[in-house]
Formats: sequence, C-alpha cells, structure tokens
Amino acid sequence: MSNIKIKSKNLNVYYGDKQALFDVNLDLNEKEVTALIGPSGCGKSTFIRCINRMNDVIDICKVTGNIEMDGMNINDKDLDVVSLRERVGMVFQKPNPFPKSIYDNISYGPKIHGKGETKSELDQIVENSLKKSALWEEVKDRLDEPGTSLSGGQQQRLCIARAISVNPEVILMDEPCSALDPIATAKIEELIDELKKTYTIVIVTHSMAQAVRVSQKTGFFHLGKLIEVGKTEKIFKNPDNKMTQDYITGRFG
Amino acid sequence: MTKEERLKKRHRAEKRFRFYGLTSIFVALLFVVILVQNIFSKGSSAFKKTVITTEVFFDQELLEIQNGASQEEIMEADFYDIMIENLIKAYPAKDRDEEDELLKLFSGDAEIEIKKAFLNDNNLIGKTITLDLTASDDIDQLHKGNYPRDLPEERRRISDFQLVIYDYFVENKKINKNFNNYFFNNGDSRDPELAGIGGALVGSFYSILICLLLAFPVAVLASIYLEEFAPKNKITDFIEININNLAAVPSIVYGLLALQILLATIQLPRSTPLVAGITLALMTLPRIIIPCRASLKAVPPSIREGALAVGASKFQSVFHHVVPLALPGTLSGTIIGLAQALGETAPLILIGMVAFVVDIPSSPVDPSSSLPVQVYLWSESAERGFVEKTSATIMMLLSFLIVMNFIAVYLRQKFEKRWN
Repeated sequence: MSNIKIKSKNLNVYYGDKQALFDVNLDLNEKEVTALIGPSGCGKSTFIRCINRMNDVIDICKVTGNIEMDGMNINDKDLDVVSLRERVGMVFQKPNPFPKSIYDNISYGPKIHGKGETKSELDQIVENSLKKSALWEEVKDRLDEPGTSLSGGQQQRLCIARAISVNPEVILMDEPCSALDPIATAKIEELIDELKKTYTIVIVTHSMAQAVRVSQKTGFFHLGKLIEVGKTEKIFKNPDNKMTQDYITGRFG
Repeated sequence: MTKEERLKKRHRAEKRFRFYGLTSIFVALLFVVILVQNIFSKGSSAFKKTVITTEVFFDQELLEIQNGASQEEIMEADFYDIMIENLIKAYPAKDRDEEDELLKLFSGDAEIEIKKAFLNDNNLIGKTITLDLTASDDIDQLHKGNYPRDLPEERRRISDFQLVIYDYFVENKKINKNFNNYFFNNGDSRDPELAGIGGALVGSFYSILICLLLAFPVAVLASIYLEEFAPKNKITDFIEININNLAAVPSIVYGLLALQILLATIQLPRSTPLVAGITLALMTLPRIIIPCRASLKAVPPSIREGALAVGASKFQSVFHHVVPLALPGTLSGTIIGLAQALGETAPLILIGMVAFVVDIPSSPVDPSSSLPVQVYLWSESAERGFVEKTSATIMMLLSFLIVMNFIAVYLRQKFEKRWN
C-alpha cells in the first residue's frame, strides 16, 4: 500500500449560503492517479480547488474542515498560498497558455520562484518540462512562437509542461481533455501514465472510460457528497453503492 | 395568414430595416461632408498670405548704424524712416494723402520685416534688395477673392485709389501668395494678417501634457485597484457608480470647480496651461478609468488562474499578465480621453484662457490661449481675415484629433493579443 499524500477530513465548502461540499473524507495516495467522477455540479472541481486553495479567488467561498498534505494543514489561514501552489500544480479544463512565447510560458513559473538563476539553467528546465510533457519534439524549433498558436491538444500539453516546470509534488487536472479531440486525448492519457511515476495526480473527468484507463483509485461525488471511493477496478466492476452503479452504467448524470 | 404571406412579411421587414439603416448612414455622411467642405472652403486660404514684392534700399543717411553692426545694435535701431522711404516708392504717389493710402496696403510689421532682412545680412547698407513684404488684411482678403470690390466706395474698407494701386501691383506682378509662416509662428494679434496660432498650439500642448501626466497614472492605478484588488462590496459599487456619473458631468462644472479651488483658494496663476491641464485632468480622469477598467475586465479569468496556479502572487498575476494584456485598450482609451480634452472649450473659458495673449508661452505658468479657445475668440471678430483663420484653426484642431484617434486605433489593432 502506497503512502497517503493528501488527506481531507470533514471538508465542507460554502459559496455564500449554498453548501457545495458536505463532510468529504478522501485520501489521495502518493504517485498514483486518483480520478474523481460524478455529474456536473457535484463538487469534484470544488474539491480539487481546495487542494491548491484556488477557491481563495472567489470572495464568497468559505472552506471549513481539514485538508492536509504530508501532515501540513493546507487550510491554515497563515499558510503561504504561493509556496503551496509551487508544490501543487494545476491544469485547467480549457487550455489557458499565456499569450506569450512557448519558452516564456514555461520559464515563467521557475523565474518567479527563483529557480533557474542563469539562462542555461532556465533553458534546461524548459527542455525538461517539454520533454516530460511529450511536446519537445513538436516545438523545439519554435520556442519563441506564441503558445496560443499551437493546436488545442498541444496547448494543453504546454499547460502541463508549465505546471511541472516548478517541479511540484501534486498535479491537479480539472477535466483536462474535455476540449480536446480523441487523438489529443489519447496523448494526454499516455502522458498521465508516465507522469504518475513522479507526481501524485488528481484528475476530474466526465469520461468513465478515461477514469478506467488512467486511474488507480476513483471517487464518486454526487450533490456535494463523496458517495463512494475505492480502487478503480472495484468501483467500475462491483461498486458497493447503488447510486454509483447507476451513474457508471449511464442511468443518470 | 398563410405561411407564405408570413414569410413575405418577414422579408419585407428586413428590407425596410436595411433601407432605414442605409438612409441613416447616408444622412450622417452628408452632414460630415457639408461640415468639412464648409470649413475647408473658408479656411484653406489662411495657409497662404499675400505679399507685396518691394525693392528696399538701405540708405546710410536714414540709419544710425553701420555695416557689420551687432545683433543688439540692429535690434535697437530704428528702421521706420527706411521703411517709409522705400514703401512710398512702390507706387508713384502724387501727394501726402496718396502716400498714406499706399502705406496702409502693407502690414503693421513691415518695419520688422525689413529689420529682419538686415539681421540676416548686416552688410546691406548702400545696397538694394527685393523683399516680399506682408500685405495688409484688406489687400490679403481682396487678393484671395474673399472681399467684394464692386461695392460702392463708402461701404468698402478699401478706397478707389487703393484699388488702383492694387491693380497696378497685379499688372506688374508685384503681388504674390506665399506660405503663411505667421499663422503657425505668431501669437494672437489685433491685425488678422499677423495673427497666428503659435501661442494656442504651445498652450494646448502644455495643457494636454499636464493633463496626461496627472490623469494617466491616477486613472490606471485606480482602475487596476478597483478591478483587481478591491473587495466586491457596497463601497466599491458606490465608487464605480460615481465614476460613471463623473464622466457624464458637463465640462463647464469642472471649470467652475477649478475657478473656485485652483484660482480663488490655491491662487494658481490665471489663464495658464498649468491650471488648464489640472482642470482637464479632473475632467478626463473618469473618461480614462472607464475604458481602462473595461480592458482589464476583458482579460479572461483563465489567464489570472493560470498565473496563480503556477504560484504567482496576486500582484504578480496582475502586473505580469493582466496589465500587459489590458495595455493596448488602456492606451487607446487614454488617447481618446486626451483628444476630448484637447477640444474642450467651456472649462478653459471659465479659468480665464479667453484672454488676448500675444506672446507665445515659454512655460506652463505663462498666460496662454489654447486651440479651441482661439477658435472661440476669433469667431467673434468681424474682420474677414479672422473668418478664414477661425476655419483654419478648426482644421488644425480636427487634424490633431484625427491623428490621435488614428494612433488609438493603430495601438489597439497592432498590440492587442488574441487568447485562443
């Protein structure tokens, strides 16, 4: 059994008066892919945005309960979110490269964190990140072209490269393939398989097939509650809960 | 109603709308053409001035200075006698009255023009040179065809005898049209042939410069704070509503405010570009904040999230990513705000810029005019020379506005980046 990287205990999230998450207790294992599934608006994205405190951006959002990474309380008011986000990277639903060059897209993170003091160190980080995200061969000759000139799938891999450029421990992926075609999706999935050797990955997805293909552990959310969590194989073959069964067989959602 | 009838009705409605739209555009264009045509036909002649080619002999007996005199000596010397002696030779006049009428055909600056020729070459004593001396306003307007010569003499500003001299000049090709350097270099004057927009240009330049220096940083910082950092609460909403209200306040109100606070209370110097610039800055501030906030708002939230997610602080995400992307929109909004300020007249009248200022201001605290105020001043003058100068000033003002708007559009199109 692998180590637990992130542990949430009785996590509740409120958007103003509306409660979005109810007492979520979910453990994420180190160097494993955990998939979160569930119908739209069930709280999957809200949950992963608690891990890197992205919910701070929303004024009316309030988080109570405990969420820990390696024993450190993420929800601590005094915690420096900048250093948290250096350790927990994120890839969004829609590829959102900066309207800058491919090189600048990736070197931005290391630069602001003071990694890569010299040009050659930065070059090395950019090359490594692009290689890890399987984009290097396609873009190595045009690093100074704008990131937005790439295709959708390439842009998403660029965003993954940007996330790993600061060498995080955890990568959060919020439906990373929902805007991509099947070929680009297959490439990203291959990449996730490769990345899990180094990083702890949480992926939110609407595709059951994708969850089965990439994850080792799956959590099913419904109406803000974590209904069931377990090994992916078990969840999809023999779930304990009737609702999970209904959802994965397409009876609602 | 059958299905076909309903379909026909829909098509007719669309056709009607297209017709109304085209008519509106045509009417709008027609007004623009009429306006521009009117200004051009009245104003374009002001860029030329009428000159009388005159032979000038520098007689040693009429001058107290020698060849090779220094600049100061020449400046102090009297060239009046030289001027009179030479000008009355321009036409064979019979008596003193005729000579007086002849002299009136030249501008009041004839003496200065002769002196300038001597300043350029201080070895002219004993020599004769040919000079293009500026003609008086009456001759200028007559020669440009703006003044009717078929009126009875008592209703004309030009006497019959002066017309005879004029015809003599024309016959001998002594009357020409030159580029009107006075219009650009001179300050205001009571004589239309000598009046220029030099002072107003410099005054407007200083005013707009001060307006830019004050309004731009304040507006940009206020916009960034309000849009990116301010908590979304009632106070922020209140401020936002009031900024929008301020943009709609009539400009004369800002003039009254400046009159009370800047002139009466702080006692800044009256009629100066400094006060004008501060007043215009107050007026322009909300007009820059609004487009600036709009362009910040137009930056998609995904860019902010992308920056935050790699560990940028709020400050870094705003200043490394959002502000650079909003800059083209901000700059073009600023330029359009400044263009509005450049054409603003009402508040400047209240702070005393309607003054008659002959000198060209050398600093922002010298009394000065400005382009729109100069238009206002000249439009009230009766002389025909001022009519063409009014239109010519409007042409200058409009061309500045067009250039500024063009720069604004160019900046936006050239530097605006696309995201996805």
